[in-house]
Amino acid sequence: MRIVLLVLILAATPVFADTPRDFLNRYEKEAGAAGNPTRGGQFFVKRHGGEWSCSSCHTENPTVAGRHAKTDKPIKPLAPVANAERFTDTAKVDKWFRRNCNDVLSRECSASEKADLLAFLIGQK
Amino acid sequence: MSSEKVFVWDLPTRLFHWSLATSFVVAFVTQESEHWRNVHVIAGYVMAGLIAFRLFWGFIGSQHARFADFWPTLENLKTYLGSLLTRHPKHYVGHNPAGALAIFALLGLGVAATGSGWLTYQDIGGHFMEELHEVTANGMLMVVGIHLIGVVVASKLHGENLVRAMITGWKSKT
Repeated sequence: MRIVLLVLILAATPVFADTPRDFLNRYEKEAGAAGNPTRGGQFFVKRHGGEWSCSSCHTENPTVAGRHAKTDKPIKPLAPVANAERFTDTAKVDKWFRRNCNDVLSRECSASEKADLLAFLIGQK
Repeated sequence: MSSEKVFVWDLPTRLFHWSLATSFVVAFVTQESEHWRNVHVIAGYVMAGLIAFRLFWGFIGSQHARFADFWPTLENLKTYLGSLLTRHPKHYVGHNPAGALAIFALLGLGVAATGSGWLTYQDIGGHFMEELHEVTANGMLMVVGIHLIGVVVASKLHGENLVRAMITGWKSKT
């Protein structure tokens, strides 16, 4: 009976139980190097050949709300310190990295770019 | 085949069909980029408006546009699909039961996809609503694929050009 209960509790546990640090660890492992917050900050505000940088929508300060560069709709802060929901759901993180990196860089982001970015966002106070 | 012609699809039904197809294609090719977000949203509004019209037209349109004319039952569907394997496939002037099923699926999924898309755009429902939007839109893509195959197969089996019928409104009577 207890085992059944335990299984039920485990099965009911949300799959998005990841933390921002789990994402950082994952990208660092894939990149084979530690994330660099300074490089992540530069990456965030820089344009990469396209019309937009990350900060075009998320602003240069990831602890405040952003604004969609096309629709003008508000976007919740990206830094986990300002928005606890960020970087807690793998499916969501993978999807939005794919979409937004394609918009900003016209390609997917590398693991080391993601590691730098996570180090930068987690380092926000 | 005799050359007698019969009028099947009224103009509003045909305009609806091609406009819906266009709005779906536009929404589909603009899905991945925020650069096209406004166009994607407009395509969604157009699609929702078209579906609202079609639901209305399904009750007051001309004979073959009305839902009562092609309401699919399990029995109809079985008989029709079974007859496709015989030498004399059952022929319908209006929608055949398989096509009818695709239409209701597309209308239902279209309501769900535009509704969940609108809610996502209003920031309601979070990631779940995004997922629902994607699942229903991909469901539409799947039904569209089956529909296209069905059009080719049925055109061959019945010796009629269904695409031309949806453009001109006329079918050859067989």
